[in-house]
Amino acid sequence: MNDLKVLGEFYFSQLANKRIWDAKGRRVGRLLDMAMRWDSISPHVTGIQYAKGLHTLIPIGWVGSWDTDGLRLNTTFDPLLTCPMHEDETLIGKWLLDKQIIDLEGSRLVRVNDISLSWVSHEDHQYLVLVAVDIGVRGLFRRLGVEFLLSGFANNFVGCQYIKPLENRTSALQLTREKEQLLQLHPADIADIIETMDYRQRANFLDTLDSQQAIEALTEMELDAQVEMINQMDEGRASDILEEMPPDEAADILGELPLEKSEEILRLMESDDAEDVRELMQYEENTAGSLMTTEYIGLRFWLTTEQAINELRRLAPDAETIYYLYVVDEQETLEGVLSLRQLIIAAPETPLKDIMQTKIVKISPYDDHETVADIIHKYGLLAAPVVNDHNQILGIITVDDVLELLMPERPREEILSSLIALRHQKKGGYSE
Amino acid sequence: MNRKVRFALFFTAMGPGIVTAFADNDAGGIATYASAGAKYGYSLIFIMLVSTVLLAIAQEISARTGAVTGRGLSDLIRENYGVKWTFFAMSVLLIANLGTTASEFSGIATSFEIFGVSKYLSVPAMAFIIRWLVIKTDYGKMEKILLFLCLTFFSYVISGIMVNPPWPQVFVASVTPTFSGTPTFLLMAIGVIGTTITPWGQFYVQSSVVDKGITAKEYGYTRWDVLIGTFFTGFIAFFIIVATAATLFINKIPIETAKDVALALKPLAGQYATFLFAFGLLGASMLAAFVLPLSTAYAVCEAFGFEHGISKSHKEAPVFFGLYTALIVLGAAIVLWPKLSLYHVMLTTQVVNGVLLPPILIFMVLIASKKSIMGEYVNTKFFNIISWAFTFILIFLTLLLLVSTLFPQFVSNIFSFLGL
Repeated sequence: MNDLKVLGEFYFSQLANKRIWDAKGRRVGRLLDMAMRWDSISPHVTGIQYAKGLHTLIPIGWVGSWDTDGLRLNTTFDPLLTCPMHEDETLIGKWLLDKQIIDLEGSRLVRVNDISLSWVSHEDHQYLVLVAVDIGVRGLFRRLGVEFLLSGFANNFVGCQYIKPLENRTSALQLTREKEQLLQLHPADIADIIETMDYRQRANFLDTLDSQQAIEALTEMELDAQVEMINQMDEGRASDILEEMPPDEAADILGELPLEKSEEILRLMESDDAEDVRELMQYEENTAGSLMTTEYIGLRFWLTTEQAINELRRLAPDAETIYYLYVVDEQETLEGVLSLRQLIIAAPETPLKDIMQTKIVKISPYDDHETVADIIHKYGLLAAPVVNDHNQILGIITVDDVLELLMPERPREEILSSLIALRHQKKGGYSE
Repeated sequence: MNRKVRFALFFTAMGPGIVTAFADNDAGGIATYASAGAKYGYSLIFIMLVSTVLLAIAQEISARTGAVTGRGLSDLIRENYGVKWTFFAMSVLLIANLGTTASEFSGIATSFEIFGVSKYLSVPAMAFIIRWLVIKTDYGKMEKILLFLCLTFFSYVISGIMVNPPWPQVFVASVTPTFSGTPTFLLMAIGVIGTTITPWGQFYVQSSVVDKGITAKEYGYTRWDVLIGTFFTGFIAFFIIVATAATLFINKIPIETAKDVALALKPLAGQYATFLFAFGLLGASMLAAFVLPLSTAYAVCEAFGFEHGISKSHKEAPVFFGLYTALIVLGAAIVLWPKLSLYHVMLTTQVVNGVLLPPILIFMVLIASKKSIMGEYVNTKFFNIISWAFTFILIFLTLLLLVSTLFPQFVSNIFSFLGL
């Protein structure tokens, strides 16, 4: 990189539609679009599309000079020597300009107003490199030919290492680099981005995520958006995803779907997952039952603490919380509860029934949400068990679930769901 | 699929078309139809019916494009035609919608004047309330209340039947093409078309289809929604013309202010006619005054990639809130101009809508006939021929209006030469 020299900087809009002359001064055509290859480090221009309907390109090496009038080639133009577009090349104008992309740095969907290119020389070779996309107002004014109005404004660029176009460059190619970049996004950010997409973009985008990421992102979404997403998937895919989601979330989503569709999805789900979900779906909307999850940690009362810790290792990955452990008998009757701290500090040989607390705060599945919130708040709990009349544990409600209820009603969200073109909003959580 | 499921699906897809239809019969709509009836009797019914059919076609194209692409119209224009054309289309939309917003505020002012409240009080107050409510309240509930107020326009249907117009004559007029080259007639005709098919209505119906998450699979139900909505637009418009023609035109009562339009409701409501009219006008104007500035701000911000959404703060989305506020403030300010005839504001803005409609239609039809965008749902040839024919007729009418306003003698000479 020691002899990297920048020879000039351009915007795509400054080059687009410029005339092209060859060495003899003959007019060859116009610069309609540029083909680009993005293989190793930076994306570079490989050729120029110079006539409508033709799929052959002028190799970038023929270009001798640029100025405001147009491009001059350093050879005599011969249509037979132009090269066809390769499979790993793509037209930048068509692919990027005016399109929406994900700005990985800002974790949001933005629109490309212009493209910034650099003419660089490196080890006797000259390259035209795509440096960044312009998403600012200045780029917009430049396209309209009135950039001078905003000459005091700074450009708003997103470096090409931070962009993720929504349409793949070529149908075959999906770089692992892009997948790795997406992995760095937080699922909540991915959820926000997905919610601002239209349904075709969503389908494309979901395919680029690995399944774990797709599930996490879906879990972070608002219920309305979840329902819409699941509704638009085919039943097979939907059942695969719902199986992996927390059963309480899955039950909420399925409860909103048309009966026929939810039955079909449940039929395709693995039977024990489906059963959990079915159980949760039977509770009315405003009850504790609808709020709880079945993924709690239940330990038999005869275990010693050492055995219990081993058991915990096995159960923990699936559980919603591991800070509270519920001690039960063979019939799942709730005998006591202990915290993770109590378990760890007790001597290895102590049986659980000696250290567990038997005074337990319990919730009935038919309690309403307010009662649940009151109980969790009053006793300062991270989670509370839900038990039936026979004291059998059905599930737990965590403080997260309650927090969601207690967050002040966000009427804006409701306005959004009913108002016109309001799909391009992010979640209202942090606004104003 | 059993019948119950199908019924449920129909109702979930219901809405965009019907809301658009009722918002279409807004202050400007009522004023235009009433004026057409009062001035030209039954003769403009033909143009109204034709434009209702065309409305169905235009709305169908927009709704289908929305369902298939999942995108708004401004989004599609930007991605397919670039910044310059988008700028042009958005300028057209902004001008048309600023005019229409002004006409909604005229409607609001008129209905308050009927209750004896000065426009200098009602318009600023309502502008403030609209600006404030949209962000603070649940739009869904608001919409239902306003739609309910709009139902009062069905009183024109009852009134139209009660005056017992000469039905054979009405029927003949409905199917007889009537035309004249005078500027006033052309103005009226373009106004009728412009108030029936509005630029904003096309953007609105498409984005609400997208917002409802309707996909190509469920589109069949949306088509019915659009058709039913269009039917009601035409149905009410028809009876407004009939009722005003049978009461005002026959008795040679010219409409000077919108209050005169209420006279056509006398057969039904007697002395309460003006109150009935005021409630309906208020509902329709408020509904449109809510929806219009907001959907305009959305369309423009979506096209240019500015941050938008009412869940954003003013700092995050300055352009969005700026545009939204500017539309309301300017719309209200136009109405507050002293000695301005509110009624003429309503009429003129509909003509402006009609003149500005063709560019938007051209984009719509171009997009809907692109196979690369619409896939198997691309426009059929039949649809394309009708849409293009309509677009060119509208452009022709606009040019004719221009020429006949500048050189009145020239056009009437041509018409007499043609034997019209």
